[in-house]
Amino acid sequence: MSIKVLGVNHRTAPLEVRERFAHGAHEVPGALARVMAAGASGGVLLSTCNRTEFYLVTDDEPALETVWSLLGERLDAAPSTGVREYGYIARDRDAVRHLYRVSAGLDSMILGESQIQGQVRDAWEASRAQAGPVLHRLFQTALHVGSRVRTETRLGMGTASVASAGAQVAGKIFGDLAGRHALILGAGDMAELAATCLSDQGVQITLVANRTQERARAIAERLGGRAVSLEESWAHFATTDIALCSTAAPHAVVTWERVGPVIAQRRGRPLCILDLAMPRDVDPAIAQIENVFLYDVDDLQTVAAQATARRRDEIPAAERIVEEETDLFWAWYGGLGVVPTIKELRSRMDQLRAAELERALRQLGGLSPEDRARVEQFSQSLMNKFLHQPTLTLKAAAEQGRGYGLLDALRRLFGMEPPE
Amino acid sequence: MIVTLHLVALALYALATALALAPFVGFRSTPRALAIAFPCAGAAAHVVALSQLTLVGLGPALSMLAFCLVLLQLASERLLRGSAVSFFAAPLATGLVGLAVLSGLSPGTEIPAGRGTWLILHVALSVLGLALMALAFIAAALYLLQFRELKARHFGQVFQLFPPLERLDQLNRIALVAGFPALTLGLLLAVGYGARFSGGAGLHVAKAQLVWGLFTWVVLGWAVWVRVVRHWGGRRAALASIAGFSAVLLVYVALKLVQPGAERFL
Repeated sequence: MSIKVLGVNHRTAPLEVRERFAHGAHEVPGALARVMAAGASGGVLLSTCNRTEFYLVTDDEPALETVWSLLGERLDAAPSTGVREYGYIARDRDAVRHLYRVSAGLDSMILGESQIQGQVRDAWEASRAQAGPVLHRLFQTALHVGSRVRTETRLGMGTASVASAGAQVAGKIFGDLAGRHALILGAGDMAELAATCLSDQGVQITLVANRTQERARAIAERLGGRAVSLEESWAHFATTDIALCSTAAPHAVVTWERVGPVIAQRRGRPLCILDLAMPRDVDPAIAQIENVFLYDVDDLQTVAAQATARRRDEIPAAERIVEEETDLFWAWYGGLGVVPTIKELRSRMDQLRAAELERALRQLGGLSPEDRARVEQFSQSLMNKFLHQPTLTLKAAAEQGRGYGLLDALRRLFGMEPPE
Repeated sequence: MIVTLHLVALALYALATALALAPFVGFRSTPRALAIAFPCAGAAAHVVALSQLTLVGLGPALSMLAFCLVLLQLASERLLRGSAVSFFAAPLATGLVGLAVLSGLSPGTEIPAGRGTWLILHVALSVLGLALMALAFIAAALYLLQFRELKARHFGQVFQLFPPLERLDQLNRIALVAGFPALTLGLLLAVGYGARFSGGAGLHVAKAQLVWGLFTWVVLGWAVWVRVVRHWGGRRAALASIAGFSAVLLVYVALKLVQPGAERFL
């Protein structure tokens, strides 16, 4: 049996294709049951917004075909053959390395992001019933690899998106952001992303929108905040801690005239303004107020780029950990059951030898004790010679990580029970 | 033995300084456990040395000040969840221990029997008050540097390694508020010492010591007053802390220049 991974990810398929392949938690058992019925002895389905991957223990081609069919059914027009152009397969050691890289964040769209580790854990837990011992071990070690990479390298340090860079900069002013207030001007995608990022850190959100009040209300409701109109918002500059501006206005909306006198009421309390709009929403002159810290997209991109550059420097160290752990897993996988199988095989052969020896000695009759000893030694020697090469081959295959298939074959050939 | 232990502490503090400043010259930040291990080991050697020391004279006072500073550095780094205080505190403590060793660690005068506890408490509390004032100065300096970087939109090492502004402001406030009662108690113990052992005829202290002690107390009291009563915060409070501590330091140096010698603190 070999380990395989089949799937699509952000490198091989665009978002509109990936979102069709995404499986909800409730769909996982059904999908895996179909693959198992096609011959896989273990399966885990990892489905996130950036990837849908089936990890399987199988030698059977039908199981792989079933996966392509499963994915193909989710594309409207294209048959299952069309899926393959978006997909990839990795086998054995490459499949192990692939999962380890995924768990470490090395294969993520945002290098080193940590969310994937939780998603790997969730996938493993959702597929527990079907995973089987090999994939259990593989996913358990993948989580360990993710932790090791994040502890021993700086791959996950800093922030790598403009929205999270905004949160980082605000954090450098206020420390813990939990309980702070943020005023979000705009209700577009960027505003929503940034608001979600701040809300995740415990910031109380107030959304401001002039044209899309309904959308602003919906986003605010989702984030446990509230929505106000643009005219109402200026007074909030006296109390809010963070003002995040991302409107589609063609000119500055946050001007000195509108907020200057209000900011003066803050009595020195800092105000962090994150201007993510293009063209900019905030009059740069506002940064002259002593307690105002104003950052635009360029500034935040600088912070994000620094983090990404620092993370890139950590790739070799992270890859080394992945390689080390892949070796360890592969040694375990290759040697899985080698020693007990060899022992069992020898014991069976010895029982056969003893029985046959006994029968032969009975037929030969009056042999002297010396002759009996010679015949017994001959039988022993013959058995050892027969078993020598298979034992060596099995051990060598185990050391190279190819023992699992041979063991499986050996057990089938000699009618031994499968390992636990 | 005392000098040897001081030299061990000095070496460990110097290593802690090197590790703290390493990121500014392009090296990687030291793992947190290691960054804490060196000052901790130095403090362990230092406390053994202090336990054998008579706390009279310039050298012992500087040594005690360095020890308090290292302890406060370790405590405040726990509060700030970072090692920024060590950028200033570690070299300062190293310098102070170095000066203490150079000044000589033997007491200039003998302590009369039965007065040791009073004196140790007076010195310990006064030095603790002074160390807290130094910590407030360090927090203020870090605040101003981080403030400048944030205003100027520079996202270099200071931005990355220094703690957030609000935490530095909080540290400055805590240090000042804790330092004032410590110094006040230290000075009151000095007055009590004089009343008890000198028959109320006052302390056997030099005029310079009295002037500097009162001046420091007034400056620290003013810094606490503007923070607590006038609600100063942020940049203004940081500037006030720096100005106050600098004034205290300048007056000390001026008085020491007038009356040089290592047998007395002043």
